[in-house]
Amino acid sequence: MRAPALLSACLLTLITAAPAAADDYSVVPETFIYCTTCHGVELRGNASVDAPRLNGMEDWYLRNQMLAFKHGRRGTHAQDTNGLEMQPQAAALTEHQIEDAVAFITALPVRTWTIEHTVAGNVDRGRTLYATCGACHGPQGQGNRTLSAPRLAGQSDWYLARQLEKYRSGVRGYDPADTAGAQMRAATQVLGSEEDIQDVVAFINTLPVN
Amino acid sequence: MQFSRRRFLNQVGAAGGSAAVYQMALALGLMSGDARAAGRTTPGATPAAGLVPQLKGARRSVVMLGGGLSSLMAAYELERAGYDCTVLEAGHRIGGRNLTLRSGDLVDEMGHQQRCNFDDDPNLYMNAGPARIPVHHYYLVNYCRHLGVQLETFTNVNYNAWVQDPNAFGGKPVRFRQYITDARGFIAELSAKAINTSDLDAEFSTEDLERIIAFLRSYGDLDTDLLYRGSNRGGYQQPGVLAPTAGMLEHGHVHERLDFSEILKSDFWQYRMYFGDGEDQAAPLLQPVGGMDRIVDAFVASIRSPMLTHAQVKSIRLKEEGVSVVYQHKGRHREIQADYALNCIPKHLLVGIDNNFPSEYTTALRSIGRGRMFKIGIQMKERFWENENIYGGISWTNQNIEQIWYPPHNVHGRKGVMLGAYTWNPANAEFFARMNPEERFAEAVRQGANVHPDYARYAETAVSVPWHRMNHIMGCTAMWTEETRRQYFTYLQTPLNDRHFMMGDQISYHPGWQEGAFSSAHHSLSELGKRVSAELGGAA
Repeated sequence: MRAPALLSACLLTLITAAPAAADDYSVVPETFIYCTTCHGVELRGNASVDAPRLNGMEDWYLRNQMLAFKHGRRGTHAQDTNGLEMQPQAAALTEHQIEDAVAFITALPVRTWTIEHTVAGNVDRGRTLYATCGACHGPQGQGNRTLSAPRLAGQSDWYLARQLEKYRSGVRGYDPADTAGAQMRAATQVLGSEEDIQDVVAFINTLPVN
Repeated sequence: MQFSRRRFLNQVGAAGGSAAVYQMALALGLMSGDARAAGRTTPGATPAAGLVPQLKGARRSVVMLGGGLSSLMAAYELERAGYDCTVLEAGHRIGGRNLTLRSGDLVDEMGHQQRCNFDDDPNLYMNAGPARIPVHHYYLVNYCRHLGVQLETFTNVNYNAWVQDPNAFGGKPVRFRQYITDARGFIAELSAKAINTSDLDAEFSTEDLERIIAFLRSYGDLDTDLLYRGSNRGGYQQPGVLAPTAGMLEHGHVHERLDFSEILKSDFWQYRMYFGDGEDQAAPLLQPVGGMDRIVDAFVASIRSPMLTHAQVKSIRLKEEGVSVVYQHKGRHREIQADYALNCIPKHLLVGIDNNFPSEYTTALRSIGRGRMFKIGIQMKERFWENENIYGGISWTNQNIEQIWYPPHNVHGRKGVMLGAYTWNPANAEFFARMNPEERFAEAVRQGANVHPDYARYAETAVSVPWHRMNHIMGCTAMWTEETRRQYFTYLQTPLNDRHFMMGDQISYHPGWQEGAFSSAHHSLSELGKRVSAELGGAA
């Protein structure tokens, strides 16, 4: 880097290195940089590498899922290509490190500006279909810890659609020890088609994030 | 076809205007002429001319995002032309997928970080990424010459290597030369029979027909009855009776012909048989002495601009007057304002970075798939393949490992690192990626033993690289389709806002090849040069 004194003359054409002006971004501990490789800046999610949005997920849900991955209750089905990618990540962590990861993820401010909608569907049909979902996940998709039902509003919509597909086909929720997953697997049987899934996710996209 | 320098320049001129001709002429003149004049350059020595016109006192800054080969070439050339350059790389090393693994090296795989446990010996390395240099790859070969990267011959096709398929010959490996010779013999015999019984003579003159038959006899080594009875091209049965090498003190005995139906059952003919005829695969090929990353080392030694590793980009914002990049480095956020950004971050990771690109740009980036490839390097305590008359080259097997490569260098040395698997079928890459490194080693050895029965006895240690699971890379060859190419290639190649340039092998017709990265970098440099020239009113 060049000395700052040299910069004043022609600021626009010289490279400057300075702390970011806004706190738009969170400093990531070195240990968890690899989470952001796939899950993106501020853990916003990245469909191109099949990594869902983690920003805004509840601590208990993250913990449950990381432990499910670690202990093979999730991400071990032969058809679950993406789950199989995440599984060794969680398996490589101790339970203590999982707690640290959960703490890191939940300490990130909810960055609503990183949410984008990619699923198109019939919102009105989706609203009707959502009635069943709302029983556990809440009418606003706000989630219900008592029922182990995570928040849906603000999640990566392509990811929600894919998970519904996985539950429906038994690629997720296959382990009897994964009780919430097994419930979800049963619940998705009301979604008869891919179109149903698109519609219900399109409706979830209309729910308030906070 | 004669492709003259003049015709080339005319074509470039037609496509890109006179500025393009100027740039390319500079490149053609420079790289060979420069190297002749300078001989092997010493690191830090600056040759007089480069690919980019000199700034001549004006100041311009460029930030290179991603530390792959295209960024190295761009930084090297821009710096020589007087630009202020910075390279930001998220990973622990510069060089992108040009990766050579040696004793102690880190393999930063997601979920399975490994250390390479090869012996500490300059001959014991694995080229985990690119491993061959086609001699017509212009930039690659010329940068090697220019930067003093020593090259040696790389053996790609080896007629003594094995062809193995569980579905043919009872799974028993056969020699490459035998398979090819017998396959040709049978095809030639079949064709000769067909010609003799058909009314082809209606279409061909008598002289043509005679020459077709002569061609087939020559091609397949047919006898005067137009029958294939085996050929010494397929090798003699070794050893001889009176001398260790058959055919020395007596007539050699050709092998029994392979069963044609077994030849057909094998997958080998599908593409592996003529693989070595490919434009990028045909002999002669080269490799750097000591490992492919000698190229990276040579660039790094010749670049003085800052190149930061562990610098992860968080945000790329195009502004009226330049580009603003926020990155995290050593636990802090930094912001760089530069006039231009040249970007070779893998497109599938770039879309996870905050930006103010137009949505079509993001859609275009997302349309390109990411390739899945897997390699495993195994250190063998003896070079047992040399006892099978195999020196370099590839054995092909229709198992998940697909290929076994023998090191072409350090002949008759004590140990060797061979490639125990190199997969092109994405399903095979996935097959290995799902295992942990120990399981991959065991599985590669188990499958390798179907080609070399004593394989396990020699295998000491292994290191494996599934490219679609490597931190900060997460993909191998960019997967374009004809459709996405038609829709987006030119669009992504065009600088966004005149400020942001996508590049790398991913923005070429040759993803997965170093020459693709260099060609793309040169395209970006030309485009950048044009814009700077315009800004400076032709002063540069």
